[in-house]
Amino acid sequence: MARFLVRRILGSAATLLGVLVAVFLLLSAAPGDPARLATGGAPGRRAASSEALEAFRAVHGLDRPLPARLATWLGAAARLDLGRSFRDGRPVTRRIAETLPATLTVNGLALLLAAGLAVPLGVWGARHPGGTADRVSGLLLDALFSLPSFALGLLLLLLFSVQLRWTPVFADPSLGLRGIALPALTLALVALAPIARVTRRAVGEALSSPSALSGRARGERPREETMRALRRAAPAFTGLCAALVPQLVAGSVLVERVFGLPGTGQLLADSVFSRDLPMVLGLTLVSGVAVVVSTLAADAAAAVADPRIVDGEGT
Amino acid sequence: MKRLRSVRVRLLVLGLFPLVALLAPLLARERTTDPSVLARLVTPVPFDPNATDLDARFRPPDAEHLLGTDDLGRDVLSRLVHGARVSVGVGLAAAALAFFAGTLLGSAAGAFGPRADRAVLFATGVVQAFPALVLVAAGAALAPPSPFTAAILIALTGWPEVARLVRAEALRLSASPHVEAARAAGASRRRVLFVHVFPGAISPALATVPYILGGAVLLEASLSFLGLGAPPPPPPGDEPWPMPARA
Repeated sequence: MARFLVRRILGSAATLLGVLVAVFLLLSAAPGDPARLATGGAPGRRAASSEALEAFRAVHGLDRPLPARLATWLGAAARLDLGRSFRDGRPVTRRIAETLPATLTVNGLALLLAAGLAVPLGVWGARHPGGTADRVSGLLLDALFSLPSFALGLLLLLLFSVQLRWTPVFADPSLGLRGIALPALTLALVALAPIARVTRRAVGEALSSPSALSGRARGERPREETMRALRRAAPAFTGLCAALVPQLVAGSVLVERVFGLPGTGQLLADSVFSRDLPMVLGLTLVSGVAVVVSTLAADAAAAVADPRIVDGEGT
Repeated sequence: MKRLRSVRVRLLVLGLFPLVALLAPLLARERTTDPSVLARLVTPVPFDPNATDLDARFRPPDAEHLLGTDDLGRDVLSRLVHGARVSVGVGLAAAALAFFAGTLLGSAAGAFGPRADRAVLFATGVVQAFPALVLVAAGAALAPPSPFTAAILIALTGWPEVARLVRAEALRLSASPHVEAARAAGASRRRVLFVHVFPGAISPALATVPYILGGAVLLEASLSFLGLGAPPPPPPGDEPWPMPARA
């Protein structure tokens, strides 16, 4: 088990390093001079003086060669110092920390909501495959799955904020649940289809396995049988959680824009627009860490739930 | 039989979109002076997508404007029909590029030994550690938005899935007797890859193309929503607006 974990952690660290270097190279190779953009704004407007540009480059270390900048940046990132935003000069870590609570609250709420709805739906579908409920929910889930999250968000906004006036038009975490209900609902509905589908498949497989048959022969009641099937489906759930993380991150970028929620996704979109290099790199780091760590955690959890996974690695 | 029918319905729907996209300039254009039944049939949406009519802003759907009009009085259905060209075009191009790159790298990983294998796996791991939208959005800010950039960026996030599938298949194939026989007969690495591994490894990847295509269309839509996608094309025959000179 320990060796399995160590190998996984090393692999994740390598992936993370690759992520960082890739993004750094991508953004440095970009056309457009960040110094010019940060000091003078959009092309076509009057540019800053060349002295100002030089000063900006010196302050942010943009005049140094690429490998040196990369090394400095990686070293600082290890100390959780991600530099300062080109836009307002404030530390990137602080800006991200400010926006993170809102995004995490909305995403956590969305996950709870989605799991609470999708798992029973999936279990029902697995117990009664081909039934009316299974088919209707399958159709609805297909529709939800094909709908882009921002279109869904706009529809909900139109219904609940504009027509019914139950919720504010702009999401506002300070209003409590009412202020973030719509973004959370949107993200939950988007996550509904994958969770329900994985549940239905994993529980269905567990229910048709020989061990379920022997349980039935022992006189297991349907309720116990379902619980056992869910337990058996645990590794599938951990994998699903890891797969949902990138989806939720992407969803946050769009949904926060729809609802004007001042979260991390909104910050990323704004930083991309203004080519705020340290900010984009910092946020990429955060989303990369989130994905890599959650994948790692899912692997570990799956190994705990089903020790055969460790053996399969050939440790 | 029931299954077959539902497959047919799905195929029909799926085929409809490229067809509409392809025929958009015929289906939705300014109606000619002759409003005969034939003209009505040939051109079901008699509005130019860029024709503004400020007397008919924000019209709800009615018999004339089937889906209503937008803030400049342009026909929404006509714009939808023409917009499908961008979506379908970018989606198809992205899926084709992702499929090509993924198949090539995946079969190289499977056929060229453990080193190439590890390199490709590492690259897929790195790309997949990103939420696709984050990667595409970051890239879209670097290059000027156009359908071409959008397709390349979307393909950039789509290839690892194909590569992993093809790699698994290529690993299986390169241990198979016919590849071994080719190697024994003195076939070069390139010949082994292109003649003996590549063709066999393609078929499982083909099954993923519809998913990539769907994902690409959704991603392109998300990109456009953020304002980073392909800009709407200027009206044909019109010069683009003069832009202030770049500093």
